[in-house]
Amino acid sequence: MSKETTSATFGFFGVVAALLAVLLTLYGQGTGEALRVLFDRSSLLLTGSSNFSGFGGGFSANVIISVLSMAIALVCGFFLGGAMVSPNAMVRSVAVVFMNLLRSSPWLVVLYAMLYLLPFNVSIFGHHIFVSPFLKAVIGLSFPVTAYIAEAFRNGIHAVPDGQWESARALGYRRGQILRLIILPQAFPLMLPNLMTTYAMLFIGTSLVVVTGTSDVLSIGKTVIASDGDDYAAAVYLYILLLFFLFAYPLATWTRALERSLSKGK
Amino acid sequence: MLFSLDFEWLADPLYQDWLLEGLGTTLAITGVGTILMLIIGVVGAAIIHFNIPVAKPLTIIMIDLFRNTPPLVQLLFLYFMLSDLGMSYTDATTGERIPLLSGFACVVISLALYNGSIAIEVIRSGINSVPRQTVEGGISLGYSRAQIFRWIELPIALRLTIPNMTSNVVSLIKTSAQAALVAVTDVMFYATQITLETFLNLEVMIVLWLIYLVITTLVVLLAKQLAKALTIPGFGAGAMK
Repeated sequence: MSKETTSATFGFFGVVAALLAVLLTLYGQGTGEALRVLFDRSSLLLTGSSNFSGFGGGFSANVIISVLSMAIALVCGFFLGGAMVSPNAMVRSVAVVFMNLLRSSPWLVVLYAMLYLLPFNVSIFGHHIFVSPFLKAVIGLSFPVTAYIAEAFRNGIHAVPDGQWESARALGYRRGQILRLIILPQAFPLMLPNLMTTYAMLFIGTSLVVVTGTSDVLSIGKTVIASDGDDYAAAVYLYILLLFFLFAYPLATWTRALERSLSKGK
Repeated sequence: MLFSLDFEWLADPLYQDWLLEGLGTTLAITGVGTILMLIIGVVGAAIIHFNIPVAKPLTIIMIDLFRNTPPLVQLLFLYFMLSDLGMSYTDATTGERIPLLSGFACVVISLALYNGSIAIEVIRSGINSVPRQTVEGGISLGYSRAQIFRWIELPIALRLTIPNMTSNVVSLIKTSAQAALVAVTDVMFYATQITLETFLNLEVMIVLWLIYLVITTLVVLLAKQLAKALTIPGFGAGAMK
């Protein structure tokens, strides 16, 4: 095993052991009982339904929300990032100001604003679409993330040497062609670690959607606490911490490995 | 739609008081949180730098845990764990049980731990980018390892990492909005109170957003001034632009 793999494995098992140790210290004799409650409620916390019969609530809702938000933010972020490297100074400065506004707004405030700003019903060409809290959470989270992606996009483009632009121009490529055929294929690997960090951040940020009333893992956790008693509150939150960690830590490790291979390739 | 915004509620002295009081709490949380965060960052970076036997693996586990889990869940866990542990005292006059650590303290501690974990990594990367020759110069002058850390590596690392540390502080300010979810009366809490009374959700959220925007912008400007004042001539100027 390489040094990096060892330290990643150490971090992984270390954190799991630390969470278990905290559970043991908190509950002492009652640890078994707490674990049983957690085991019974696992299906509810993971999928939002008992007996794993359904899908789309609990922790799976967090995953789905993060993926959908990321998809929206990727598309919007690439356009915003494109505007930020536009040759037109006006477009560029407007895009930069917009990006900074989005980036410096707290996620919670954006989520609250979306909750009331978006209508409950949208009619497009006569079709009425119900805007669920779930959809609002997805849209609300994609706003700040758009800004991060736009910045990653701009940094990626700036990381490609100017010589590439100049030689492509000398060969008679148009601006759009240069971006699409020459700059982006080189910039994308450079952007990838940044994009993955952004996704990890977004995933961790999905815990905030509890304010929109979506049945995410935290609101289900609150329901479980309400039904099983306050005694198990700490255990339930420990379990949720573990869930988030199990998802986010491999991502972080992978990102670090990517970064290392990038810096080696230079 | 933009022109039908109603900002008359801002003239109400009650709401003004609420916002100001909330702003004070938010500033207190972020101020104390930032100081604690820096302390955790320096101590953690020192522990890892000096390879202290038991403390180092524990610090690494702490960093991995706090960086990869939502600060909101950390806050809620801390809030419930501390009340579970019975960390409370009984008021002699009223017989009421009062938690030793209030919601405010929980928020400050959780923010300090979460952003402190990021700060450790930031300071470590700063220490790693201190030129080898500078450290060797310190060794040849007879500095001990601790002295080199205190007088050479740490000051340079802290200066070099001002931009990263600034974004960490900004992240702390933004994350502090979640204090409202454990009923700490920060500006977010009062803003939601106002929306409940006036139903002017959009207007209140715009004001709230502007408040956060002003705080973070001021912090960024302050950090820029600080970076300028602390520039080491002919050293790391590129990183501080």
